[in-house]
Amino acid sequence: MTKSQDEGVILNKINLTIPSGEFFALLGPSGCGKTTLLRLIAGFETPDSGVIYLGNTDITHIPVNKRKINIVFQNYALFPHLNVFNNVAYSLVIQKISKEEIEQRVIKILKAFHLENHIFKFPSQLSGGQQQRVALARAIINEPEVLLLDEPLAALDFKLREKMLIELIELQDKLKTTFVYVTHDQFEALTVADQMAIMNQEGDIEQIGTPQEIYEFPVSSFVAKFVGTTNILTGTLHNIDTDPEIDISHLGKFKVYIPQKKGWMFDGCTAALSMRPEKIYISKKPVENFTNTIKGEVSQIVYHGRSTQYNVIVNNQFKLQVFEQNEEHFPHEDIDYDDEVYLCWQKENALLLEN
Amino acid sequence: MYALFQRIQQRSKKESAFVIGSPALIWQVIFFYLPLLLMMVSSIFILSEEGGIQGVTLKNFIPLFSSTHLTVIFSSIFLAFSTSLLCLVIAYPLAHFIAFKAGKYKTLMLFFLIVPFWTNFLLHVYAWFFVLEREGFLNTLLKKMGLIQEPIHFLNSIFAIILMMVYCYLPFMVLPIFSTLERFDRRFLEVSDDLGDSWLETFKKVMLPMTLPAVRAGFFLVFIPSFGEFIIPELMGGDKTYFVGNVVSQYVLGNETGELGAAFMVLSCLALVVAVMFIYFAFRKVSRMLLRGLQ
Repeated sequence: MTKSQDEGVILNKINLTIPSGEFFALLGPSGCGKTTLLRLIAGFETPDSGVIYLGNTDITHIPVNKRKINIVFQNYALFPHLNVFNNVAYSLVIQKISKEEIEQRVIKILKAFHLENHIFKFPSQLSGGQQQRVALARAIINEPEVLLLDEPLAALDFKLREKMLIELIELQDKLKTTFVYVTHDQFEALTVADQMAIMNQEGDIEQIGTPQEIYEFPVSSFVAKFVGTTNILTGTLHNIDTDPEIDISHLGKFKVYIPQKKGWMFDGCTAALSMRPEKIYISKKPVENFTNTIKGEVSQIVYHGRSTQYNVIVNNQFKLQVFEQNEEHFPHEDIDYDDEVYLCWQKENALLLEN
Repeated sequence: MYALFQRIQQRSKKESAFVIGSPALIWQVIFFYLPLLLMMVSSIFILSEEGGIQGVTLKNFIPLFSSTHLTVIFSSIFLAFSTSLLCLVIAYPLAHFIAFKAGKYKTLMLFFLIVPFWTNFLLHVYAWFFVLEREGFLNTLLKKMGLIQEPIHFLNSIFAIILMMVYCYLPFMVLPIFSTLERFDRRFLEVSDDLGDSWLETFKKVMLPMTLPAVRAGFFLVFIPSFGEFIIPELMGGDKTYFVGNVVSQYVLGNETGELGAAFMVLSCLALVVAVMFIYFAFRKVSRMLLRGLQ
């Protein structure tokens, strides 16, 4: 499925291929045009220019009700005047399928979604999670080729959201339908996606890849900052071909790792160094065997439960974040506010990005 | 005043609702229920000169079961029903247009809908006289277009009455439908479209059923006052047509016919209740018919 279109200022000449049969997440900040992209795929809007293919068929001008694409909206838009059964049966009734078959199929899907006890309830009588499942059942009962999900879990609380994410993954595994999941929540995208695309504020796609590729090897500082948290330091590159290092003013020189020389790199160019907080080791004593070490002062400690976040001020001006996994009840060292600490990292675990 | 406010606050919710609502309730009882009760009482009791009750009788009702009186009631129902139906046919598309298509002109269009209410009612009637009279706007227009040779007699006809009725009662139908449509989430239409339905079916299965309560409210808002309307038939219909309102006013204001007027009012009220119930169930039936096919 390839498409490229020019939708005013909202989407700027996008070219995106969504692999069929996969769980694809579209991640971007609010207002980046990801919902517009979804509405284009669904057919609610037509592109100013460009084509949308479903498989090998051009569907750009096929009306919404003729596309084998279904959507789940953020607020579900369950018909309030119809009960659960009729909401789910809606698309089947249109097709003049026999009553017996409709009943059979609806009951089957409602059982699969654990809704068999709520068949005759109306949407207002259901909990958020149940409404979500009814909306899903309604969208997939007609076996669409593509299922679009527009921030479907935004209205649910955290625990329920985690549970629904797992259910969605299982559902996609079973159906093998292409799922396109739009969200601004990186946690959701990383959890569900086989492949994901990151969109920026300008409506361009910055990077497409597996969640691991996106998280570990972001191609730009926008992606690095948007997906997960990271520390970005800018400086100048030296000795690219021999023993590469980055010179960060007021901080010193640090060893960097260049597995493959990029076009933008040259001796003396500026570059951004991105370090994930969990890849930095923190200790009150100097530690050997790390390629880079830096000294700083703890300014803040935030206890998250499974990890602890330390904000460290280096040289009175750089603020670095460090996550320490809480593997045992008590940390190996007692680090307190204003303690002087050493931050250490391997050069392979930091990433050089074009500035 | 403050002490009262405090007392209201201290009371439970139910009680404070009663306190706040009681002035309206008292008003309603004194100026609406009591007169209604008096009308009913005077229709069945025989009263002495001093006002004492001398007995109960149904004799006031006997002359009412004549074909003339029943015709009046039925023509009132017909008038109210056709007014409501015409209002609905005009109001739904109009409300739909204002709610969905008017965009930034929404407020302006609502303003224009209400603006006739700001001028005197008699002015409306005279304005329509100018439009409908023998040498009036409409006849001149039709003549100029070559559609008619001789002017048509528009005034003093059922056509003129219904036209004026629809003109006057239209906002009562538009406003409830508009306010429901304005809150209507377009995503319901998109979902239906997405699930494969045509726009006509979507209108039948989604939009109309969801707005039907507003349509019903508008229908009653037009139907009930139309039933008792007597100024418009009087002014636009000449003395040709009689409706419930005209007959009641004639009896009540007439000599020695007060009891008859009261009895006729009671009878027509009963007819109205039956008609309203009939419409109510008709709406239920329509709503079921719209969702036929679903279980």
